[in-house]
Amino acid sequence: MTEWGLYVHIPFCQARCTYCDFNTVTGMGEAEHRRYTDALIREWAGEMLPSGPLVSIFFGGGTPSLIDPHLLGRVIDRVDARVGGISAAVEVTVETNPGTVTPEKLAILKEVGVNRLSIGAQARQNHHLLSLNRIHDVSAIDETVAMARDVGFRNINLDAIYGLPGQTLIEWQETVEGLLRLAPQHLSLYALMVEAGTPLKQQLDRGQAVLPQEDAVADMADWAETRLGAAGLLPYEISNYAIPGLESRHNRLYWQLEPYLALGAGAHAYVSPRRWWNVRGVRRYMELIEGGADPGDGEEELTLAEEMREYAWLGLRQRRGIDRAAFRARFAIDPVVAFGSLVESLGGQGLLEWNESRLWLTARGRDVASVTARALVDAPIEGLPAPSVPNS
Amino acid sequence: MDQRHIRNFSIIAHIDHGKSTLADRLIETTGALTSREMAPQVLDSMDLERERGITIKAQAVRLFYQHHGETYELNLIDTPGHVDFTYEVSRALQACEGALLVVDAAQGVEAQTLANLYLALEHDLTVLPVINKIDLPSADPDRVMEELIEIGLDGTEALPVSAKQGIGIDQVLSDIVEKVPPPTGDSSGPLRALIFDSRFDSYKGVLVYIRVVDGSLAIGDRIRFMATQKEFEVTEIGVFGPHPMPVDRLETGEVGFFAAQIKTVQDTRVGDTVTGADRPAKSALPGYRPAQPMVYSGLYPVDSADYGRLREALEKLQLNDAALTFEPETSAALGFGFRAGFLGLLHMEVIQERLEREYDLTLITTAPNVVYQVTLVNGEAVRVDNPALMPPAGDILTIEEPVVEASIITPSDYIGAVMELAQERRGTYLNLSYLDNVRAMLTYRLPLGEIMYDFFDQLKSRTRGYASLDYQLAGMQASDLVRMDILLNGEVVDALSTIVHRDRAYNKGRALAEKLRELIPRQLFEVPIQAAIGARVIARETVKAMRKDVLAKCYGGDITRKRKLLEKQKEGKRRMKSVGNVEIPQEAFMAILRVDEQ
Repeated sequence: MTEWGLYVHIPFCQARCTYCDFNTVTGMGEAEHRRYTDALIREWAGEMLPSGPLVSIFFGGGTPSLIDPHLLGRVIDRVDARVGGISAAVEVTVETNPGTVTPEKLAILKEVGVNRLSIGAQARQNHHLLSLNRIHDVSAIDETVAMARDVGFRNINLDAIYGLPGQTLIEWQETVEGLLRLAPQHLSLYALMVEAGTPLKQQLDRGQAVLPQEDAVADMADWAETRLGAAGLLPYEISNYAIPGLESRHNRLYWQLEPYLALGAGAHAYVSPRRWWNVRGVRRYMELIEGGADPGDGEEELTLAEEMREYAWLGLRQRRGIDRAAFRARFAIDPVVAFGSLVESLGGQGLLEWNESRLWLTARGRDVASVTARALVDAPIEGLPAPSVPNS
Repeated sequence: MDQRHIRNFSIIAHIDHGKSTLADRLIETTGALTSREMAPQVLDSMDLERERGITIKAQAVRLFYQHHGETYELNLIDTPGHVDFTYEVSRALQACEGALLVVDAAQGVEAQTLANLYLALEHDLTVLPVINKIDLPSADPDRVMEELIEIGLDGTEALPVSAKQGIGIDQVLSDIVEKVPPPTGDSSGPLRALIFDSRFDSYKGVLVYIRVVDGSLAIGDRIRFMATQKEFEVTEIGVFGPHPMPVDRLETGEVGFFAAQIKTVQDTRVGDTVTGADRPAKSALPGYRPAQPMVYSGLYPVDSADYGRLREALEKLQLNDAALTFEPETSAALGFGFRAGFLGLLHMEVIQERLEREYDLTLITTAPNVVYQVTLVNGEAVRVDNPALMPPAGDILTIEEPVVEASIITPSDYIGAVMELAQERRGTYLNLSYLDNVRAMLTYRLPLGEIMYDFFDQLKSRTRGYASLDYQLAGMQASDLVRMDILLNGEVVDALSTIVHRDRAYNKGRALAEKLRELIPRQLFEVPIQAAIGARVIARETVKAMRKDVLAKCYGGDITRKRKLLEKQKEGKRRMKSVGNVEIPQEAFMAILRVDEQ
């Protein structure tokens, strides 16, 4: 029985943040929100469900908290109906942006079955929020968390970004301290990634914004890990911290290569050995669904070797690393055998360690996790009974 | 055409004084091309030449001109316009009886003007001064006339011209007929023809550009190259008008080209003499010397699988470039590659660019170096064209390096700045003279290795762009030179070794180590960079260990994209050379050229 999850993409935003390259749209109104939700429901109705239990639903964006919460409730209802009841143990998360919710909206979210909020705080300096084109100020972060607590949310994640243009270590410390005062169960702290085609990239290219030095950014990361540890929030993945037991189930699905379905424009699904994704355009997605057509835009089928590699480099993002027994159960080979010489050499460089049951990155290995990931993305698989025949 | 009606001439000038424009105008005026056919600067036929505004390969154009009712055949022989090709220029001038010396009416006499004038006088050419660009508002023909007198020409005879506007062109043509002497070869003697250029044509084989000095050449003749002793049968003869036109024969004094199923320009050396195989001349024409590379650099494919393609590309380029030499070379750092020899830095850059552009190769080029003549303690003489192969200091008695005699013309306000630059580059002062009351000519002896890279740029920047430079090789000179090695992570990287003067080793070593620290990206571990002479470390820098190398975000919708990003990063790392455990980017191997020592 394999556990699986569901990702639902809500692409609507009030404004676009300068660093964002996700699939988002601005300027669509309530009618489109409704129409889009109808399409999500229709897509759901046509999905082939994996055989195991559903363990997580994640509304990501965009800004899911922007739209009428009853619309999200409708989706949850249909899921509930088809899977034969969503138990209280299922994690149901909604990405929430300060400035888009009221106590009423949050109460409705709670009522329709949402039990976890992921709130995008990003920074606690108004000048940074402004230059990132966030739609809220610092006080809105505090208000949103307070409102969420009031209506009974007990599982709250906060997002923040370090390495912002012009950001100092002091400012970052102020951000983290400020978020810790809000007593979140989970924190996601991301090093800023500058993506092609974003306004931020343009600003940097034109010299209108300047990133902090490499060492300064590393200091921010190291300081935060120590500080969060003292607060009882432990890193369970490169960028994610949680009170033990409150790690995000949904995140784990991704890093353990477990199946997930996905609804909405541009959403990616994976059920071994296939990964597939929908068209990105929101209107195009709705039109295809309404016309009874497949909204799929592309797919890839992973070979066994490719799945092993992904399992390895994704799994090693987690603090606990890879469970060797789980790997063996899935691939009928031990990871230390399959990646034998690579494991040896990464181990020799002090990046990787293992024992009878697990394989994990050392502290140094986590700092430079991409070194291991790059080695693994095209690593040869060793020790297979029969060599795989190359396509000719 | 009988010799009395032939005139062979060249146009010589400082760069940008309008040589090519004047040539275009002469071609147009004599009707060799309609103006519709005239692409600007028709004589520069390689794309790269046109892009760089430099004439690399000489060509010859036959023009017909009516003068006092008689038809004259004027052969215009174009000359390369860069100091790397001085020898080729001298061969082209040897094929002429006269030269137009073009001087910009605003700029006046420049270093290359003089160098070219001296070359022309060496070959006893009749020099006709032409003052070009008289249409410019800043033109000052009177001053230029005085400068011409100062350098020993009859300035009052100089023709005022605007090639751009077509002013004075007829006068230039009639002066060529009246003042340039006709050829005086022995038309009944055995064939002697001077090769002043050759180029490879994939259909006809090598086209050999010649000036017939004595005798004549006809299709079907069996000829012999006197230096290489190779014999061929002439299959085709032609002249350029400027489009190629077939002719049956070339008579004494005439200029043209022939083809003879020749496979490589290695057989047709510029300056060599062509004679008849059946009735050979007793002696060759004077002045031939084999092309001698002065600058060497290592060429290595970034992808070692491209080694074979690199060799094929070099072989193909060599078909058309007798001055290019290359030999296989192995570097501990870079693997298998070639040590290639060039006439000079421009020649090197052109070849590298062609290899990358026309043959789609990605190369690591080591910093260029000159060739050293080393005498060992045991009396043995060794020629060293790769710094890494310099023998241990204890075995060396003397090291000699090539030197040049450089003429620098500068406004007198900048004499101090120029002298300072020449001193920094280990120059020896030879002479100072004044062209007029505002411009002076300085002569220095300088090591070729010191002026190879950025000397000209420095000269320009320190004189606000006013100084001009020309130089000629002036033999070898013993100097107190040492090999400086670079160690990365404790290992010598042979491709980074350089030869430096002992007195400046410390500054150079420090500057190079600093530059490498900037160029080498952080690695997993700390990388010490050391500059050393023998066992003595003279400079040390450290590339700090990489702190973080992570993908911050990787969720379900992102996995395929992040996997591709990782693959792309990996590809980027493959373009670096891994020496020991250190990944070194391509540009680090040229770092020595970019150091600013203080």
